[in-house]
Amino acid sequence: MFKGRTITAYLLIAGFVLPILLLVMLTFSANWVYPNFLPERFTLSNWNEFLFKNARLKQSFLNSLIIATAVSLFATAAGFITSRWIAYHKRRNFLLILSYFPYAISPVIFAVCLKFYFLKAGIAGNLAGVVLAQLIITFPYGIIFFTSFWNRKVKNYVEVASTLGSNDVITLKKIIFPIAKQFLTTCFFQCFIISWFEYGLTTVIGYGKVETLTINIFQFIKESNTYYASLSSCLLVVPPVLLLWFNKKFIFQQTR
Amino acid sequence: MTSRFKNIIPFSMLVILAIIPLVLGIGYAVSYSFGLTGVLNNGFTLAHWQTALSNKDVLMSFGYSILLSFVSIVLCVGAAAFLAFYIGDKLQSGRLSYFLYLPMAFPALVAAFFFFQFLSNGGFLSRFFFQLGFIKTIDDFPNLVNDKYSIGILAAQFFLTLPVFVLLNLSIIKNENIAALKTLGASLGAKRSQILFRVTLPVMLKKSFPTVVLFFIFKLGTYEIPLLLGRSSPEVISVITVRKMQRYNLLDIPQGYVIAVLYAMLVFVLLTLSLKPSKINMNV
Repeated sequence: MFKGRTITAYLLIAGFVLPILLLVMLTFSANWVYPNFLPERFTLSNWNEFLFKNARLKQSFLNSLIIATAVSLFATAAGFITSRWIAYHKRRNFLLILSYFPYAISPVIFAVCLKFYFLKAGIAGNLAGVVLAQLIITFPYGIIFFTSFWNRKVKNYVEVASTLGSNDVITLKKIIFPIAKQFLTTCFFQCFIISWFEYGLTTVIGYGKVETLTINIFQFIKESNTYYASLSSCLLVVPPVLLLWFNKKFIFQQTR
Repeated sequence: MTSRFKNIIPFSMLVILAIIPLVLGIGYAVSYSFGLTGVLNNGFTLAHWQTALSNKDVLMSFGYSILLSFVSIVLCVGAAAFLAFYIGDKLQSGRLSYFLYLPMAFPALVAAFFFFQFLSNGGFLSRFFFQLGFIKTIDDFPNLVNDKYSIGILAAQFFLTLPVFVLLNLSIIKNENIAALKTLGASLGAKRSQILFRVTLPVMLKKSFPTVVLFFIFKLGTYEIPLLLGRSSPEVISVITVRKMQRYNLLDIPQGYVIAVLYAMLVFVLLTLSLKPSKINMNV
């Protein structure tokens, strides 16, 4: 009995680790011809190309980083402020359902419906447009995330502080921020990952002009460039794996 | 800061970043689908709706997406419940608990790419069976991606979603004190199957229902995985919508908007059902 459970646990974990191992192996591979199980030779040339030669891949990495950082910063701040207002609003249930809708709807379908306005505003096909489009899905996520923070306990703390003569700024600095620090960090990283992983919406609003790592992967797959697609995949997976190392909650966003 | 000013900032953000995009996006799709806006449209018409609703591909797309999402969720919920009960204690602490989160570090696109490399005719699994002598040529290996039964899509979705449901079940088992309920059932003379079907599963399904519906909605709108691992017919809702809207044939665009409107309505109904006011407990 004990043995069966241990084997099941290790098989499950092996199934979760296998993709990373195989993708990493492919980044060091050359001439991986059928029916060989392993490539004919291992090489550093793919990594060498990325680190020292391929400007396109580096630019995509940078674009993904800039977009994800901007989106997560704003979504966290805006989500935090707005969620407080919703939490204490008399129509909070309705407002929450309204917040769920942009988050639950398929980003790519939402993007094709909104593309017209982005084109009219002249922000389709540039970084600002992609950041704004991603905010439309991450901001509601921020609101939903923080709803559990604004509970009775926090409300009581704020009321006690107010009774003792504290003003809004001091309450925010000395009471709310220290309690919310962990929530804010977690929300920031979860929004970062939603943005970091985004493909459908970015490809529609980015109009093929804003290259991110996810867009690169798709292009490499279409070109049948398995090694570069694996390398881009690894670059995409490494930051969340590192975040996972620090705190599991950082990457626990609801995967589509 | 006056109270009025304090309310204006969050209200404006909600309106600008959530309500306006929603109204504009859905509004544009509705007006395009009824011929009120867009190229080649000359005024109100129901023709696009009639064309779309009589199009076999469109109807199949909805049926296929719903079926695929349903099967995907049932597989995940079933496997997660089994794993949570069978090896839950091993997954809750120590090194193994870290690995349980690993699939969450994968974007859907990378998961789809991996499963393509793993399950396709020229992939790892095929090579493995070749080396073992089970198959003689590449064609002997069955089609597991872009296949009739959507095995590739289901495998990728299972990989991405299973950990979420395992973690959800572990938290329900802990918070609802399932172990105590089972002991109580047993002490009252219930058989093991009765405890499972009358106590454990009903509690777990009831508690996880909103999350299950939310994930069903996510799966309905999934894009990257079916795009890479699916077949050209039938297509899932998001793939057929994007294909119709980004085609050079302008006559197809209104049909794309009809599909988008139908999909939005479906999501709205499912969300409203799963997020009834009583289920949103703000604890304030």
